[in-house]
Amino acid sequence: MQDKIALDKLNKGDEAIIDSFANDSLPAKFYELGFAPGSIIKVKHKAPFNGPICINILHDDSLIAIRKSEAALILARKK
Amino acid sequence: MRKKTIALLGNPNVGKTSLFNRITGLNQKVGNYPGITVEKRQGTAKLNQTEYTIIDLPGTYTLFPNSLDEEVVLNTLLQKENKDFPDLVVVVSEPSTLTRGIIIYQQVRELGLPAIFVINMEDEMADKGLKIDYDKLESYLKTKVYRTNARNGKGIDTLIAGFENQIGPYFGSLSLPQQYDQALNEAKKLFPLDTEYKTWMYLGLDAQNTHGLETSQQLASIRAKYQLSTQQLQKDEAILRHEKVQQALTAIVQKSENKKLSVTEKIDEVLMHPILGYVIFFGILFFIFQAIYAWSGPVMDAVDASFAFIGEFIGSNFPEGPLNDLLVNGIIAGIGGIVIFLPQIIILFLFIAIMEETGYMSRVVFLMDRWLKPFGLNGKSVIPLMSGAACAIPAVMAARNIENPKERLLTMLVTPFMTCSARLPIYIVIIGLVIPDSDFLGFNLQGITLFAMYILGIVGALGSALVLNKIIKSVRNSFLIFELPTYKRPDVKNVLNTVWEKSMGFLIGAGKIILAISIILWVLGNFGPNDRFSEPEKYIAAENPQLSEEEIQLEVSAYKTEYSYLGYLGRGIEPAIRPLGYDWKIGIGLLASFAAREVFVGTVAVVYSLGDDVDIEDDTQKATLFERMKSEINRNTGLPTYNFATGISLLLFYAFAMQCMATIGVVRKETGSWKWTLIQAGFMTALAYIAALIAYQILK
Repeated sequence: MQDKIALDKLNKGDEAIIDSFANDSLPAKFYELGFAPGSIIKVKHKAPFNGPICINILHDDSLIAIRKSEAALILARKK
Repeated sequence: MRKKTIALLGNPNVGKTSLFNRITGLNQKVGNYPGITVEKRQGTAKLNQTEYTIIDLPGTYTLFPNSLDEEVVLNTLLQKENKDFPDLVVVVSEPSTLTRGIIIYQQVRELGLPAIFVINMEDEMADKGLKIDYDKLESYLKTKVYRTNARNGKGIDTLIAGFENQIGPYFGSLSLPQQYDQALNEAKKLFPLDTEYKTWMYLGLDAQNTHGLETSQQLASIRAKYQLSTQQLQKDEAILRHEKVQQALTAIVQKSENKKLSVTEKIDEVLMHPILGYVIFFGILFFIFQAIYAWSGPVMDAVDASFAFIGEFIGSNFPEGPLNDLLVNGIIAGIGGIVIFLPQIIILFLFIAIMEETGYMSRVVFLMDRWLKPFGLNGKSVIPLMSGAACAIPAVMAARNIENPKERLLTMLVTPFMTCSARLPIYIVIIGLVIPDSDFLGFNLQGITLFAMYILGIVGALGSALVLNKIIKSVRNSFLIFELPTYKRPDVKNVLNTVWEKSMGFLIGAGKIILAISIILWVLGNFGPNDRFSEPEKYIAAENPQLSEEEIQLEVSAYKTEYSYLGYLGRGIEPAIRPLGYDWKIGIGLLASFAAREVFVGTVAVVYSLGDDVDIEDDTQKATLFERMKSEINRNTGLPTYNFATGISLLLFYAFAMQCMATIGVVRKETGSWKWTLIQAGFMTALAYIAALIAYQILK
């Protein structure tokens, strides 16, 4: 079993598989937009000075931006 | 004629609005949902003796609401007694994000509503490297699947004909997790007539608006009994559905390389670059402001001239008297004062609509969120704030794009602090009077002061956001999640539609209030309680026996202003403004410029008997006004009225005060609340007063 890593810790260009969530506080919108366990994601951009991060959800081919504070709640396994 | 209600439902960025425009043509109107400021787009389409009312529901990813917009969607679909309750739901989706479209479709069907499924932008499928097996998809969804291209209108007629489709029964595709069975059974007793999924949804909701207080308390106690949270239920459902739909789609959709995304990725490498991205964004902003100032100038002059012409024409063709004056200087001048803002509004919204349509706006939000979050604002606040440097009216309207209600309210409350173009004439006059025209470290002092005023506007906006952020309670947690759509060529129809709607919204909504206040100000300025107003010649001659007939005539308008109701009001507020270093004459200017800041210069000119059409850009006229103002003595202090202390005090007052009824009108319209409108006006005026007071008392 690999170590889980929160999405805010990933670097630009990293790919990972969503594994689980730190708690239940994320709004349903996050899951609806594709942050579901098993989804493969890729970090596309990081805004400077701890700004939002832009993530590519591979199965939807969509680009989703979230703040670091919420990214910290999403846990993934690095690919 | 038969009538049917059709609701368009779907994710943002799937071209739903373009589709709506195609289906309804121009038979549409935009209003508000009752009691809230969520925009309601409604239109009609006719086919075979049936009139379809089409409702374009706000774009949403889920039926569980996170914003006011999404709450509207849910309530429309849940409440049978709602007059917008649809006979048929059209779920709009696009090829690459089918999973999300299908999830929302399933939610709708399991609520017991008939629905058809539309795949819009089907022309992009080849570029996106997708192949869909439609027969399989139809049997999976148990409904008809339509393919459309809202850009060229392909498939629209077939879709409209499809509104008559008989939709077969639907059996839930979601098997709810067993661990919730007990709680669900208990909840079912509250809603004996509803589908299982609907009950589940009620259990997972925390919305009193949907059903009364009593029922929602009962639901809350069921959740408490089984230690469930709404988030947990919503999360489990979303993940479960996601898994199921993904699995099913592997047999329905074939994927190869997505060319569309790779183009977008290449553009994003530049536009979202940590340094270059900001450089480009500020470059674009600079261009927009340049355009607003440079392009609107001639048009605004033309508007001004034509209203002056109409006024003159009516003035000379109607019998003279107060009615004539009201018509010319009250009503026509009032309407002119509204229309003059239109060119700036149109240009600004043109750019904003293009930025939205191309998908660039989301990139701006991405870049700016980090810098605005500490102030309780959102990345999306950047557009209103920047637009505020031109005119607060369209700027406040631009805040509509912010989903979080608190962040939107905050943005609207602080935007009027930005230095708008109407403040410039006042700044120029006062700076010219009290700041020496000399150099400091190689920079012109007057120029530095003007620049400082712009900075002060930004500081005022962000500073008050910081304060108000502590005061305003948030209904929802602040979070940010948004999609960055692939770049698209803007749909001209959509852009023009947006510009038209926003300009008309301003003209009619804010216009009413501006007009009313213009008339009130006109009445106050043109009537007086006694004969000092009606027969000023007598009094002037008595007070200044040495004046010739001609000189008396020159004094008349100043004298009339002094003894009009407005003049009395000016003297009435003198005790309040004396600590700021102002006399009653400035008081009149302050009161009159409540209509709009730029009125200050004109009013002051009248008070100093120069006639009200002083052109501040004309050098000789400016020099005359300056000379007159410089020699003015404040009768309370015996010092020149416009000394350094008063000047700074006035500059600060105008920087912070909400001296613009057009903005008040638009804030009232956009917030839908007098409470916040008055709080804002009060907050700004108090801040202006305190800042001016401190400055004057220290400097005098």
